[in-house]
Amino acid sequence: MNDTDEDATAERQPARDRRRLWTSRLVQYLLLQVAIAGVCVLALRQSLPGPPDQYQVTAFKLTEAGIEHAVTLPYFSPLRHAMNDPPRFSGHFVHPAGEAGRAWSVFLPRFTNGVEVSVNGVVILDSRRDPAANRPDRNTPQIAVIPASVLHDGANDVSIRLFIWGPISGFLDRIWIGPDELLRPSFNLRTLIFVTLPVVFSSWQAILAVILGIMWVMRRHEPAYGVLAAAMAVGVGQAFLQTPIGETPFSRLNVVLISSAPIESALVLTFALLFSGWRWRHYGWVIFIPGVLLALAGLFGDQTTVRALFLFLAVPTVGISLAVMAIVTARSVLQRQNVAGLLLGCAVTIMLTCWIVDLLSVFGVMPNRIFTSRLSYSAMLVAIGAGLTWRFARALNEVDGFAGHLVTQVRDAEAKLKASFAREEERARAAALARERTRLMRDLHDGLGGQLVSIVALSERGNGSAGIGDAARAALKDLRLVIDSMDDIGGDLMLALGSWRERAMAQLRPHDIALDWRAVTAQGLPVHPELRPWHVIQIVRLLDEAVTNAVKHADAKRITVRIETLTGADGVERGRITVEDDGRGFEITPDGAAAGAIKAARGLRNMRSRAARCGAELELSSCAQGTHHGDHQGTRVRLTLPQRFPDSDGAAG
Amino acid sequence: MNSLSDGPQAEAITVVLLEDDAPTLWRLQDALTKAGYQVRAAGTLAEARACLAQGAPKVLLTDLQLPDGHGVDLIRETRQRFPDTEIMVISILGDEESVISAITVGATGYLLKDAFPTDIAATVRDLVAGHSPISASIARFIVRRTQNTPEAPPGPALNTAKLTPREIDILWGIAKGFSYAEIASHLSLSRQTVPGHIKNIYRKLEVHTRGEAVFEAVQQGLIKL
Repeated sequence: MNDTDEDATAERQPARDRRRLWTSRLVQYLLLQVAIAGVCVLALRQSLPGPPDQYQVTAFKLTEAGIEHAVTLPYFSPLRHAMNDPPRFSGHFVHPAGEAGRAWSVFLPRFTNGVEVSVNGVVILDSRRDPAANRPDRNTPQIAVIPASVLHDGANDVSIRLFIWGPISGFLDRIWIGPDELLRPSFNLRTLIFVTLPVVFSSWQAILAVILGIMWVMRRHEPAYGVLAAAMAVGVGQAFLQTPIGETPFSRLNVVLISSAPIESALVLTFALLFSGWRWRHYGWVIFIPGVLLALAGLFGDQTTVRALFLFLAVPTVGISLAVMAIVTARSVLQRQNVAGLLLGCAVTIMLTCWIVDLLSVFGVMPNRIFTSRLSYSAMLVAIGAGLTWRFARALNEVDGFAGHLVTQVRDAEAKLKASFAREEERARAAALARERTRLMRDLHDGLGGQLVSIVALSERGNGSAGIGDAARAALKDLRLVIDSMDDIGGDLMLALGSWRERAMAQLRPHDIALDWRAVTAQGLPVHPELRPWHVIQIVRLLDEAVTNAVKHADAKRITVRIETLTGADGVERGRITVEDDGRGFEITPDGAAAGAIKAARGLRNMRSRAARCGAELELSSCAQGTHHGDHQGTRVRLTLPQRFPDSDGAAG
Repeated sequence: MNSLSDGPQAEAITVVLLEDDAPTLWRLQDALTKAGYQVRAAGTLAEARACLAQGAPKVLLTDLQLPDGHGVDLIRETRQRFPDTEIMVISILGDEESVISAITVGATGYLLKDAFPTDIAATVRDLVAGHSPISASIARFIVRRTQNTPEAPPGPALNTAKLTPREIDILWGIAKGFSYAEIASHLSLSRQTVPGHIKNIYRKLEVHTRGEAVFEAVQQGLIKL
């Protein structure tokens, strides 16, 4: 009972933790978005600096739909369409005497949709000829220098006709009439923010369209890039295709402009959905319906209806798209914790805030009519660019990592290949050696060997030729050694010593000398993969020499062969073979040569040179009979094998 | 060393000796006769077959390369006709090429042609006593064949599949020059059982089946010079 309870708790525990983590992430994300929205609202509430108030003209007499009444600017007109009989604002301003040297201008920071300004009955400005100024979504300011000939000292008349063609109602902000040098900075600032900056962003959008288009062409399996490229292209078209107002041969282009906002927002939404891992469904076309409807209306209906439709189709589409995107990107950020998603989410929040503020200003709730939706879209463009760069950089890093991984793998494979090649070479060498050995053995069998055996046999029949027999026997023994040392013993010197023991025993038996064989360490000698036949032959001949000396010169009764592995302080294992007899021994001169018989001396010299060739250390100690010092009597040959046998003959020179 | 002490027993022991080199034949015959064995000497395969026709010898000592054929044939025949006959090869070098091929048809070990007379007698005596001798180099050859190598090493073919791990351990010990006593103590065996293991090893290396015989025929082709 208890157990199952605990199990259940254990199972619930991670789920609860996950939920807690989710909640904390969501709260963090939402707080960030609220902060961003707050900053946006604060920034939008800041009004742009205007020229000195003394030049502001706000009191006008308005003639609207045949009714005349006094108004104070800014003025929100209830009309949505007024082209033939536009509202007309009449006012006065004073041009002080002595200002003849200064140019005076009329500055209109904001109006929808078009204005015609006349001073003293002379038209000095018609904004309808400036396509950029005709776009109600842009807050294009206008300034016009009043010609000196028109202006006269004292009171001057100013008259403004406000043309309205929808889709939103008319609006005229305060106007300034004063010295051009005082009005110009404010105009320039507004131009920079509301005209130049959007152009810059549109150029950036054009670049993005190209980059994303290339990306999509190269990576067809990621349609998100294609969709975004299309959105960017629509945006660029909207920004740069500008037509003057009225029914022109290019009026069809207006369709593009009108339907661009909903189509673009639908495309961006599709991108956000695909980007967050959503799979395209057929019902996804629904989000394109408003844009398409608007485009069809633009193609077949008149512009008035289109503009009316715009407010009911395009604006909500943009808003809904933004809201859905906000949710989708939030989910994506919470699930995948990626930087690109977070940037996109923040941009969406900024846009959504601006959209809401714009909507409020359309309905006249806000004291001014500055539209920032289009401008806030630049935040989205920046986010897309940054996200794209981030992904690109990350992909490069991944490629680097992968390349590094690949390099390591290739290096490993190469090392393995080298090792296997070396092994193969080693095997081929061993096989060649074995073949050579077989051939040599057959040759020796057929020739030399048989002849030597015959000599042994013949020498035994005739008396007094024992020396010949011994020589022949020694020759046979050496033949066997040569053949034996050519055998592949896999670096285990013990295998060579095994055969040597047999031969040595056979040699010692007639002399009644006992061979005491002691492997002190269980494994005997360490294995040396680099051991070659010529090493073996040198070592075995050296040992033979030691045994022969004991037989011929020492008159020994017992020979002890000790085999051991010494482990040094550094953990390096070295083999040691000691041949010891209980014979007479001999004096060794300080230079290491034997003092006695010349033959023995030559034998010792041979042993030294053999040891040197194999890189082994030879230690000789002998004590002549009668001079007992130490615990041993006789001769001791101690051969310490190298840690690694040399590749070439060390004493060749 | 003093093989003459076995005199009364050795009288009954017959040895067929086949060696084509006359001086070698004399010295081997001499050594065995002096040790009290009854030796029937032959210089050719035909003579040896005639000797065998007289009845089963206790021991057959044969050279391999003979004027009228190969000793391996005689070993096989003898092994089939007289299963109780102990067979040994007389070899110049004690090399595995000749010795192993003889072992696969039923020989147990080899005798070096230049061995001292006392050693010759001692070897035959041990053989008769049931101690199959094995040299370090032959043991080495066999154990190296038990190790898996991708391609067959040169030399006579040998099927070591039937050997048990313990038998292979014993062979390793012999190859490294350890005495039977040392091997027995390393492997926790009784010293007396080691010769029996070696005899088993020889028997397991022998070729019996028809398939193995074909295999061995190929191998014999290698030997033919």
